[in-house]
Amino acid sequence: MNALAQSGVGRAFTTPLGLFSGGYILILLVVALTAPWITPFDVTIQDLANSNAAPGWPHLMGTDEFGRDVLSRVMYGARTSLSVSATAIGFSMIVGMALGAAAGYFGGLFERAVMTVVDLTWSFPDILIALMLVAIIGPGLSSTMFAIAVAYLAQFTRLTRAQIVQLKRETFIEATINLGATPAHILSRHLLPNAVAPVIVVGMLAIGDGIILEATLGFFGLGAQPPTPSWGAMMSSGTAQLFLAPWVIIFPGLVVAVTVIAINLFGDALIRALDIRERLRGT
Amino acid sequence: MSEFLEVSRLSKRYTSKRGLFGAARSMYAVNDVSFRMTKGRVVGVVGESGCGKSTLARLILRLIEPSSGAVRFDGLDLLKQRPREMRRLRARMQMVFQDPYSAIDPRYTVADAVMEPFQIQGVRLSSAARSDMISGLLTMVGLNPQTASSYPHQLSGGQKQRIGIARALALKPALLVLDEPTASLDVSIQAQIVGLLERLQEEMGLTYLFISHDLALVKYFCDEVLVMYLGRVVEALPNTDAPARHPYTRTLLDSTFQPDPKLRRRIQPLAGEVPSPFDLGPGCAFAARCPRASERCRVETPLLAASGGGHAVACHHPD
Amino acid sequence: MSTILKVEALRVAIGALTPLSSVSFSLEKGETLGLVGESGSGKSLTAMAIMGLLPLIGGRITGGSVVFDGSDLTALPEPAYRKLRGGRIGLITQNPMTSLDPLKKVGSQIDVVARLHLGLDKSAARNRTVELLGELRIPEPASIYHLYPHQLSGGMKQRIVIAMALAADPDLLIADEPTTALDVTVQAQIIRLLSDLIRDRGLSMVLITHDMSVVAQACDKVVVMYAGTAVEYGTVAAIFDDPRHPYTKALIGCIPRGLAGAQRLKGIEGTVPSVAHYPQGCRFHPRCPRAEAICAAVSPPFIASRDGAAACHFAGAVG
Repeated sequence: MNALAQSGVGRAFTTPLGLFSGGYILILLVVALTAPWITPFDVTIQDLANSNAAPGWPHLMGTDEFGRDVLSRVMYGARTSLSVSATAIGFSMIVGMALGAAAGYFGGLFERAVMTVVDLTWSFPDILIALMLVAIIGPGLSSTMFAIAVAYLAQFTRLTRAQIVQLKRETFIEATINLGATPAHILSRHLLPNAVAPVIVVGMLAIGDGIILEATLGFFGLGAQPPTPSWGAMMSSGTAQLFLAPWVIIFPGLVVAVTVIAINLFGDALIRALDIRERLRGT
Repeated sequence: MSEFLEVSRLSKRYTSKRGLFGAARSMYAVNDVSFRMTKGRVVGVVGESGCGKSTLARLILRLIEPSSGAVRFDGLDLLKQRPREMRRLRARMQMVFQDPYSAIDPRYTVADAVMEPFQIQGVRLSSAARSDMISGLLTMVGLNPQTASSYPHQLSGGQKQRIGIARALALKPALLVLDEPTASLDVSIQAQIVGLLERLQEEMGLTYLFISHDLALVKYFCDEVLVMYLGRVVEALPNTDAPARHPYTRTLLDSTFQPDPKLRRRIQPLAGEVPSPFDLGPGCAFAARCPRASERCRVETPLLAASGGGHAVACHHPD
Repeated sequence: MSTILKVEALRVAIGALTPLSSVSFSLEKGETLGLVGESGSGKSLTAMAIMGLLPLIGGRITGGSVVFDGSDLTALPEPAYRKLRGGRIGLITQNPMTSLDPLKKVGSQIDVVARLHLGLDKSAARNRTVELLGELRIPEPASIYHLYPHQLSGGMKQRIVIAMALAADPDLLIADEPTTALDVTVQAQIIRLLSDLIRDRGLSMVLITHDMSVVAQACDKVVVMYAGTAVEYGTVAAIFDDPRHPYTKALIGCIPRGLAGAQRLKGIEGTVPSVAHYPQGCRFHPRCPRAEAICAAVSPPFIASRDGAAACHFAGAVG
């Protein structure tokens, strides 16, 4: 906790935008974590007598064509969307940092091989990679996660490599080598700890992009499979009665938009708080 | 008995391509440098930017692999050491760097920084021994032991350089390479650091290789002096009283001002420019700027030749 | 002799801070005055104040006067200042790279100055530039004219910057660390060049430097600055012969003389205070070996001595 306070993350909350966006994200996290216990209605139980009910009491966001409570499904959907995106991005970040650090530190042929492959994945649009992977593995949450992870791998690898290459030129690295340090010591004690802050911020911003990608795949029916609620899948099912019950599509869509905007705003606040704008340039 | 440090015919060649289709060019950052150091002496290497003095320092410590030549340290052939042996050996040959501002990991406290050498070399210390060691090292370099909990950004340049020295001396090395340790400091701080280095050398019987662009400082601080120009040692002075015999050394001397208006220099105009280090042709690299240059200087590279009393000059027409 | 520049009790504020105060000196025609001090002493700020460049860094003159050739510059409007800068006052900066446009031929960059300030036409300006380059001992000036900055060495670039400063035939040169980024042999050449220009053209120069040796070599008068204020001024002969301020004395003592068996270098304990933490009384007292109770309480007045004055309570005392 001490290290966290010292790193300046707390400062991200000192601006109004940082406070609102950060607060929203924290509330969303709590909702996602506790969704099974706090949703007002069961998300899978159908109540056909109450189908397509307009927002009001007791269904604050109305119900869908099967009479399921939209608010409960949006809350539960946060759990799906956030966990899928965060897990995928987390995985992508770890692999990207490892690849980028090794490429940046060891250089040579290894670096060129890694960066060629990684750049290749970057030259395709995210959605294309995702569709390709889903086509190979088949639809579902695990392939969605895999697709998101692959789509953002290049970003993390490139950013980490750039950081490591730059840090390697610092005198303290040469001084540490001269003390007889092993590559493992230099990477784990000096290079990675100094490179990690910008990567984490980019990771956090990528979670926002990941949510959109997850929603997109869900919308096309390639992500979460029914009856698991996910924002994308909810919007997809809402298209059928767009004019009859617009709330079924509006509320999940609104939450996706607000969440992504909040993540981006908070990411900006973090960049300012950690003073790392310079280090993110050119990657 | 073998010498403490023996550098023989050490060279480092770099090649680079100019543009996409350009021909490869090559340059010698360090070219055929040989010298010996005796234990307990302070040897200065002086030269202007691009003369290869910093590269030479890194070649000696094997922070850069040489293209050819050999370095023997305390009887051991450094270039034959395997990585694990080399890492252990590094405890005995340390370096103080030019830029104190980036010489400490910004995330390390002073205590972490001065204890890192022990951690790296696998020396285990009890927590009592650890805090004794920290305050001992800080006191040794003239810092208050309370500095231990500070982060680098809270320290001045001079204080950071003292930490750099404490780190380098933590493992009690025999050889200390000082790469322009005062060049980025203010004059008053520079004198403090030089004074500290002098005291430590006397107390610990250290051997220094002192790299600098400042001939006045080198003459003040060192027992022996090597003068470098474009990768080569052009003159080796056995002591600081020895009169310079190479025209380049004399130019360097005449260009070094004295803090005394009564000793103003008559600056002789120097023709020509420092030639590009790439693809240097035959002949003396200083010939284009040398007042004594003859036809021979332009075709035949003068080699460093002993001229008695430990003095050596690489010049066809020495003084 | 007539006075070309007179600075009196100059005071500069940036926001709520006063990083510069009580700077006074006068410069006669044909003289070179050294403004010497360590980083943070306020020497560059003094130059900016004279050049009317303080608004660039959000600063302003809050007291005293800057009189150039009989007229006070402190109230001068910006358009008139623009005529003066590069016109009657030439500026030479430390880093030639920042004063040269990398995308323009060096010759045309010099032309612009003469065309702007002297109203010359294109071909007259070009002829003048080539002539000027020759005067600065630049070989083959007509072909150098067509080169771009990156094709020139550091010393040559600095000569181009000097040519720009001279292009409009100024009366006063302000040189801010003109040789700090250069090698020693090149520094000597540039200093010689500047000295010759002063003599041949009857110019006056304010030479800003951190190096007491450069002052001893090139200046007639000197102002020693410390922590945003002048502590001593006088003729170079008097200052080096008999420094009255302990800081001046210490600063001279920090420079190795390059003589074997010379006295030990004495650094100055402590560090230069930052502008937010200037001490009460004499700003040097925390580091001063002579300090007494009065020094911490009362800001010392200037006490006149032989050919100068020092702001020290004990400047009148012997020793």
